Formats: sequence, C-alpha cells, structure tokens
Amino acid sequence: MARDSVTDTKKERPLRKSAAILIFAAAALLGCAIFSAQAAQQSAPPKSQAKFSPRDLSGVWFIEPYYQTILPKEDPPFRPAAEALFKKWNYEKEHSDPERGPDPAPRCIPPGIPRTMLQPFPWEVVMARDRIVMIFEYQSLVRQIFTDGRGHPKDLDPTYMGNSIGKWDGDTLVVDDIGFNGKTWLDPKGLPTSDALHVTERIRRIDYNTLEAAFTIDDPKMYTKPWTATKRFTLKPDWQIKEYVCAENNLTH
Amino acid sequence: MKIRAFLLTLAAIALAPVFAPRAAAHHSSAGFNLQHPINIKGKVTKFDWANPHAFIYLNVKNKNGGVDEWRVEANSPNMLSRVGWSRDIIKEGDEITVNGAPANNGSEVMRLQNVILANGQKLDGQGFSYGH
Repeated sequence: MARDSVTDTKKERPLRKSAAILIFAAAALLGCAIFSAQAAQQSAPPKSQAKFSPRDLSGVWFIEPYYQTILPKEDPPFRPAAEALFKKWNYEKEHSDPERGPDPAPRCIPPGIPRTMLQPFPWEVVMARDRIVMIFEYQSLVRQIFTDGRGHPKDLDPTYMGNSIGKWDGDTLVVDDIGFNGKTWLDPKGLPTSDALHVTERIRRIDYNTLEAAFTIDDPKMYTKPWTATKRFTLKPDWQIKEYVCAENNLTH
Repeated sequence: MKIRAFLLTLAAIALAPVFAPRAAAHHSSAGFNLQHPINIKGKVTKFDWANPHAFIYLNVKNKNGGVDEWRVEANSPNMLSRVGWSRDIIKEGDEITVNGAPANNGSEVMRLQNVILANGQKLDGQGFSYGH
C-alpha cells in the first residue's frame, strides 16, 4: 500500500467511525440506506484521474476507435517502388474475391510493428525485470522489448516482428525496432516495408485509462523521409487475452 | 405504384442510420462492396463460431423461386463475445435478417454489419468502433 493512502486512512478514521454510526442509524430507520451509502463510497473520481505509476504500462490495452491507416495527412513520401506496390495491392484488393487478396495478415502472416498493435484486438503488457512483454490476442503473437541495457544482436536474422530494445526517457518508453524481413504491411491499406525498416516507438501512459504510442516509420528503401503516427489505446480492466487460432476457420487462400 | 416507391424511399431513409455502412472490418476488406450494403432474410443452416471469423450460413429465397445458401462473415468470436454475442446466440433454423456488404464478384457471400435475430434483438456484427 502506498504511504499516502496509509496516512489518509488514519486521518479519516474518526470521520469513518461517525459515518458508520450514522449509516447504522439510517439503516435501522430506512432499511435500504446501507446500499446508498455503499454507492456513495464507490463514487470515486473519474477513472482517467485515478492514481497510477507512470512507468507501469501493465494491463490489457485496446485501440479505440480502430484506425485502418497510419498514412500521414499529406501523401506519404513514397519512393517509386513503394508507390507501385501500394497501387498494385489496392487494385488487387478492389478486384479480388473475398477469399483472396494481397494482404498477408489474413493468411496468418504476423503483421509486424506497428500493425500488430493497431489490429482491432487487445494486447496485454506484462512488466518483467529485464523486459516488457506484449501478449497480442491477434494471432496469439508475443513480443519482447528488452529493457536491461542490452543492444540489438549484431547479426540479426530478419523476422516479421523484428527485434525490440526499450529505454526509458523520463516516463516515456522509447522502443527501437529493427531486424524486419520486409514481408509485412505497415497498415491494412497496404503501405509496404523493406528489410531496412526502422521503427521508433514512444509509448507513454497519459492517464490511468490511456496509453499513447507515437510510431516513427523510417524505411529508406521505401520512403524518402520518416514520418510519425500517434495512436491511443484504452485500458480494458475486465478483459483477458483469449486464444486466437488464425488457421482454424480461415477461408483465405 | 408511385406512393409505394415513395414509402419505400421513406423507409430506406428511416432505416439508414440503423444500417449505416461502416468501414472495413479488421482484416481484408478485399472483395466486398462496402459502399452498397444489402439486407437479406433467411433461415440459418449453420453457425460456425471460430476464429478468425464467425460465419453464419443462411438459406435465402432467390428471385427464381429457388434457394441460395449465403455465407455471412462476422467478426471474430473473441471480439463478438465482448459485445454480447455467444456461441449459441444463433441456432440452426432461426429466421434472421442480416445487413452487410456483398461480395464484389456476385457470389452469395457477405461481410456482416448488423444482424436482427429471430427474437428481434439487433446485434452489431463487428463489435467495436472505427476511426477512418
């Protein structure tokens, strides 16, 4: 228990005693007064103002509302090859059958970073001594962000989810991601990636209920300059991560 | 006839907010005509409650007096169960009305947006809010 709340409890004790006597008397008279007293005790300040430790990111988080794109307001700085892929995939999306299409994610391909975090499924943050673990419901993916001071391994095998190193900048977790394989899309609209993708995330708990993540996308093979997209996630205290087997009922081929 | 068309238009306008078209679902909006959602009514032949999508199979009378089997794709059971669905909320033989985006290729496949159950209860077929 935090020291503050211990002090508060002591201060309030005499008050609580008299309140209890009052409630007891009222209950004797009205019968149902206890219920209203309980209700009054529960009317805490709004959850967004509830106390929290800013470096504690643990909890189940969910993107709300669900945004399909991380495109910047102006046209993204496509290199010609990236623009050609984007146009090709969007044409295929428009003209394909429902069980087909160019998007790798419906075929159970891990969507990489940032897209896995942006999928409309919750993910849970678990804080460990030397790492922060994200357990994604979507495709039952797990991601480790090492926070013990180690750097990226020297000879990384390229992967869908990349390699993540985290450092604290004040109360902001700064995550550096490299080691991607270029087979994922940045978002469902079809922004291509390459093996040169470098994502920087600045993740901050802005209030009890809300996690904010600013993703800076830097992929010099695909885009002429980096850009940043900021998304918010809502705490879902009553949810728990469920099993999600992508291949089970999947008609995509 | 004109009055009937007028009344139908009125009904369509009145129902528009109920069945407002929504953005694509969580993955692959490929192949669905999201701009022109349709309503169909039919009898459930199968309710398939598994990830990544729940499917409702529906026998629907067609214009020629025959019956087509439609496959209606909802969101994942994981998300639907967080907004009031359950694995037995729809049963074989139920008469239901579904609203959603039909397949572009003209096959009897739909991405569900809303469903009206046999008991009149209306459910969101995606179960979360969208940005853009």
